[in-house]
Amino acid sequence: MLKKIFSVSMAGVLALSLAACSSGGNTTASEAKYPERGITIVAPSGAGGGWDLTARSIAKTMSATKLIEEPITVENKPGGGGAVYMAEYATKEAENDYMMLVKSPPILINNNKAEGNSPYGYKDTTPLAQLTRDYGAIVVREDSKFQTLTDVLEAIKADPTAVTLAGGSAPGSMDHLVGILPAFEYGIDPKAVKYVSYDGGGEAVAALLGDNADVIATDASTIAEYVKSGDVRVLAVSSPERLEGELSEVPTFMEEGIDAEFTIWRGIFGPKNMSDNAKEYWSTKLEEMSKTEEWKQELEQNGWQSEYKDAAGFEEYLQTQEKVIVELLTALDMQK
Amino acid sequence: MNTIQFLMDGFGIAFQWQNILFAFVGVLIGTAVGVLPGIGPMSGVALLIPVTATLTAGLPTEAAAASSIILLAGVYYGAMYGGSTTSILLNTPGESSSVVTTLDGYQMAKQGRAGSALSIAAIGSFAAGIISLIGLVLLAEPLSNVALQFGPAEYFSLMLLGLAAVSGLAGKSMTKALMMTVFGLMLGTIGIDAVSGIARFTYDIPVLYSGLEFLTIAVGLFALGEVFKTVLERDHEDGTMAKIGRILPTRKDLKESAAPIMRGSFLGFFIGVLPGAGATLASFFSYIGEKKFSKTPEQFGKGAIAGVAGPEAANNAASGGAMIPLLTLGIPGSGTTAILMGALIMYNIQPGPLLFDDHPEVAWGLIASMFVGNLMLLVLNMPLVKVFAKIIQTPKKYLLPIIIAISFFGVYAVQYTTFDLYLLLACGVLGYLLTRNDFPVAPLVLALVLGPMIENNMRRALTISNGDFSTFVTNPISLALLIVAAAWLLVPLLLKLKGRSVVLNEEG
Repeated sequence: MLKKIFSVSMAGVLALSLAACSSGGNTTASEAKYPERGITIVAPSGAGGGWDLTARSIAKTMSATKLIEEPITVENKPGGGGAVYMAEYATKEAENDYMMLVKSPPILINNNKAEGNSPYGYKDTTPLAQLTRDYGAIVVREDSKFQTLTDVLEAIKADPTAVTLAGGSAPGSMDHLVGILPAFEYGIDPKAVKYVSYDGGGEAVAALLGDNADVIATDASTIAEYVKSGDVRVLAVSSPERLEGELSEVPTFMEEGIDAEFTIWRGIFGPKNMSDNAKEYWSTKLEEMSKTEEWKQELEQNGWQSEYKDAAGFEEYLQTQEKVIVELLTALDMQK
Repeated sequence: MNTIQFLMDGFGIAFQWQNILFAFVGVLIGTAVGVLPGIGPMSGVALLIPVTATLTAGLPTEAAAASSIILLAGVYYGAMYGGSTTSILLNTPGESSSVVTTLDGYQMAKQGRAGSALSIAAIGSFAAGIISLIGLVLLAEPLSNVALQFGPAEYFSLMLLGLAAVSGLAGKSMTKALMMTVFGLMLGTIGIDAVSGIARFTYDIPVLYSGLEFLTIAVGLFALGEVFKTVLERDHEDGTMAKIGRILPTRKDLKESAAPIMRGSFLGFFIGVLPGAGATLASFFSYIGEKKFSKTPEQFGKGAIAGVAGPEAANNAASGGAMIPLLTLGIPGSGTTAILMGALIMYNIQPGPLLFDDHPEVAWGLIASMFVGNLMLLVLNMPLVKVFAKIIQTPKKYLLPIIIAISFFGVYAVQYTTFDLYLLLACGVLGYLLTRNDFPVAPLVLALVLGPMIENNMRRALTISNGDFSTFVTNPISLALLIVAAAWLLVPLLLKLKGRSVVLNEEG
């Protein structure tokens, strides 16, 4: 309801600013001047999820620091794990410099998996920047017989039916890939691994604590509290280097002899045919934003790790990540 | 002793003037959110998070966290109170958990007993709120451990029990009820299967990937179905809609509701504790149970007050129960509690095993404020009954467009897609055709909720057991639930075979 009121008032502001522009009569300057009206950032999910929070944090920081003076509205477009809006974004909004999109690895995964496929991937957008990162964690109960990641992998290798791996999302999505990645690199047939999917990370943790799963794959940022309370142990994290804070004692996949890493990144994208003007504008503003105190505060409040990559670096990174994902999906027989 | 001390400290926090104000604003917005279909508790809470963050900006972190969670939780349980209003008056469920309230609530309103229905819903919600809070205070610790023991096998058996009990929602014909159940189960399979990741019946249409939205279907079948019926059958009964007799329930109403409210409260509380089960199931179970317990089951569906009192108590108690896994385990049992959890994390307060040790003032302040908030809701809702009840006296020619507008607005506010608007319309037509031919729609709706849960949990259980079906009977809780489910179906049959005259199903 508040949102409705908010967007109505936004529309009012927009109309006024448009009127102001047209009275100026400098139509030739439209090439050089960006932005000249309000901007929308879309979270392709319902309110409250990770994409939504990221989009709102960007909008809030940009306005609070006055980096972008024009109003920024956040819109929720849920459906199909992001695939529904992706189709619209890649086609109808391909020329619209005023629509931005927040996404994470599913933009790669959905585009490459056979089932629930989204025909559009990151190549149908203009990647602008990576802003945050999180990592996967392999977690067992405190009293588990497994002491290291290798113990788990050996047990699966010996008898895949004896170890239940659980995660908070469907097969072929992030938790599954994080859990399967070490097994795959260890030479285990990933299809043989017994994976049980739950509705969200919380239910997966409940399954682990209630002894309905032996191992779970989940986000490193959310599991720390259970480590602190002594209910679970984290065997390995998917980061390239050790994490800070509660999980600083936990080895990485690399340290455990598994040559793999997996980052759960979140970034912001522009439309496919974004004008150079707009792209440059966003690149500068996003880089400036990532250095502000306000942004750092947002990150801390949400428990996110900062990792800034500019447009070029982000695109390059997406290319390599896409390879990893295609390789994994292929091994799982789930690729497009 | 310790618990009492903590609770008293909690009341100390809840009675600070700004927190009383926050609780009041929370329950007030919650009531509005509950009354308006579409803006469910989930989006209501999510949209208020930034507002509370601004309001509490001046306070120290701990106090700010306590104040804003008091407001947000107020919205959550306030919405549970308000959700019944449109169900009773307009046959338009505002939340999925108040779908079942339409069955008897709307009938009561038609008979001019809207006042009784609304006030018994408020009284039932209040009683349930208090009972579940006492449960929360006393049983949080042991129950959170029991909830963890509920694995896929137990969930499967619990859901199966729910499905076995679907006969309780049948109208004139059991066969038709079963047909609708199967139809609901089939609709539930649309979307990306959560266990294998395979897309089923989606025909590469992305909007189907996440399945059909439950609320769209329920609003279409119930509210629009009723609208179409009135329009198509030229049902201009402006004068025949009974006058609203009295606002307060009669002594007889209260007597008939007392036991259902108690049963609904306990049932709702325990189902609410289980992550993922939730208020919708609790209200359905309560309704079915009340029909079974009732001495006059033939009254159900025709305006039995127990059919309003029980489910309303159950869905409110479930929201109290759902606080247990949230606060003690950090596991949100529903979409709304997940957002409440996000709000706490924003203040660097992590719900979970350490919450009661690390931040007792937040946890106990919240619990104490819920006692205060529930009392406020009762005081707030009783006078409103009179105002709301007037709605039903609005002439049909004004009322119908309002219902249509509310349905469309509500569904769009949840889903943001035009696809759901078409689906809503289609369900409206379907709802009309089905009801006209005596196909009950409630079993369809229940099956749509239960279907995916039954299937996913069964397959999870079988994956864990490597395909061994005995997992469902070797597991004690699961076995007990299965026995109850079997008894539910078989006992009436056996009695009948023995020549005893029992009401197998209430024909007519």
